[in-house]
Amino acid sequence: MVAIRTDELTKYYGDVRGVEALSFSVEEGEVFGFLGPNGAGKTTAIRTLLGFQSPTRGTATVLGADVTDAAALREARARVGYLPSEPAFDDRVTGRRLLAYHGALRGDVRSDELLEMFEPPLDRPVGDYSRGNRQMLAIVLAFMHDPDLLIMDEPTSGLDPLKQETFHEFVRTERERGTTFFFSSHVLSEVRKVCDRVGIIRDGRLVEVASVDSLLDRSGKHVRLTLGDSVDDGAFDLEGVHDVTVGGRGGADAADREDGVTTVSFTYTGAYEPLLRRVLEHDLRDLTIEEAPLEDVFMRFYDEGQATADDAGRATEGAPPRDGVDTGREADDA
Amino acid sequence: MLETARYEAEKRLLGSLALAGGLAAFAAMMTLLAPGVLGEVDVAALAEQLPPAFVEAFDLELMGSIEGFLAIELYEFLWLVGLGAYVAYSAGGAVAGDVESGRIDTVLAAPISRERLVTETSLALLLPILAANVAVFATVFATTRFVGDPIAAVDLLAVHALSIPYFCCCAAFGTLASVSAPGRVVAEGVAAGGVVGAFLLKTVSAAADLPWLGAVAPMRYYDPTAILTASEYDLAGAGILLGATLVLLIASAAWFREVDLS
Repeated sequence: MVAIRTDELTKYYGDVRGVEALSFSVEEGEVFGFLGPNGAGKTTAIRTLLGFQSPTRGTATVLGADVTDAAALREARARVGYLPSEPAFDDRVTGRRLLAYHGALRGDVRSDELLEMFEPPLDRPVGDYSRGNRQMLAIVLAFMHDPDLLIMDEPTSGLDPLKQETFHEFVRTERERGTTFFFSSHVLSEVRKVCDRVGIIRDGRLVEVASVDSLLDRSGKHVRLTLGDSVDDGAFDLEGVHDVTVGGRGGADAADREDGVTTVSFTYTGAYEPLLRRVLEHDLRDLTIEEAPLEDVFMRFYDEGQATADDAGRATEGAPPRDGVDTGREADDA
Repeated sequence: MLETARYEAEKRLLGSLALAGGLAAFAAMMTLLAPGVLGEVDVAALAEQLPPAFVEAFDLELMGSIEGFLAIELYEFLWLVGLGAYVAYSAGGAVAGDVESGRIDTVLAAPISRERLVTETSLALLLPILAANVAVFATVFATTRFVGDPIAAVDLLAVHALSIPYFCCCAAFGTLASVSAPGRVVAEGVAAGGVVGAFLLKTVSAAADLPWLGAVAPMRYYDPTAILTASEYDLAGAGILLGATLVLLIASAAWFREVDLS
């Protein structure tokens, strides 16, 4: 069963593109992360799914209800929880009154339990709440009717690290119970922790839908070498090596090397053996191989359009197009 | 059932009490001043010295009795235009404010239709309307008896009862502005300005002898001066106002159902 399905979903605000031709589906019981930089169209997509605005073209269903069918979507919303990115409430009303109001609108089956995990000061007017307390109240309101599907826009924004962890743990528990999650985020550690699959959106278009594991596999390893000898350009021109950075620039010139060592770092997506063979041809002083941070994967998607041929000096030839981008991170590390 | 109307009315409770208190205080002051003014000023002589158009526009010839005095000093302006504009202004800010601030998002994520939300939000405006009516009715009733110049209770009751359709119409107009204007401030301005403008239109159309021009003004169908000074109750007018309220609310709900909230 599919919880959310979009087909060529497009939303324009006049001439301004919100999202264009989004096609994806979120399976029941899945945690689907919707990722993209600010302004990529994440919130536009979410607001269209909730029926706050109608699509310009294309279709979408939420729990089987067409988002353009107001009556069907209203019924479906009884089983949907929504957590906005910047929850807004009436400032003069207390949290308790809001809880009662929303309970009357959608039903309240578990606010007591939720309030043990997330503890907004219910007896104070919401106007006095801190950002984190406001977010906790919004979380309780989103989950109080025990929905089957949660649509969340940057759910942990404003929460302190402890509450973020509580929230992630809560999401994992809910997932075990079969709850479906669709949420936007740009906090990649969060995505790593809780998501099964991610959709990556850039400039309103979906550029990738993949499982988190496959994205990490694809991102390869970060390799960092400390060598006692000099390195020619192309010394590590191996299949699967990209974004090579040589410490001190122009590693072939011994005078440029600091402390007599050359540092080389790159991302590697091939097998270990050929890499190690090549490495051992040099005077190896130190070697670290670690999982590339998820950030790098996303940076490649985000920066794709900005790649230029000028990167040739830093990036090796022959890498796949989206990998041929220097995020700047390597240069900082070197 | 009516959770939203209840919630919105609760939010308006303090404001409504303050409004009712303020209007009641003004009504009390005017009533207490009335015997002194009526005793010392020869209104008929004064009216002769003023331009006839002016006298007619402000119904000055009726000012000689306490009914006429209160009709002009309280009901024709502060009540009719002031409270009418306030009610429209409040309605104008209601939905538009919730959309602009994003407060409406968490509500609309619940299984409630937009039509229902608009209707119940407007319904909550009955609270300030009723509170003002009760407070001013009681005050005028009591103070006119206190100064020894009682107004007929039936007329006073009618001036308040028949004001309810009028204020509902103002609220419905404000609601239409609220759902259709591009933002809260514009909605509030259009709503309050619309009521004041309608009043001017009615006055000008009467002066220019173009009665059809003032037909869209809700004040055409509720005339507190005629009720108080001549015991003329425009029940048909009240029906027209209720009909207009219904039409405006249906239009608001239909518009709000279709509009993008962003």
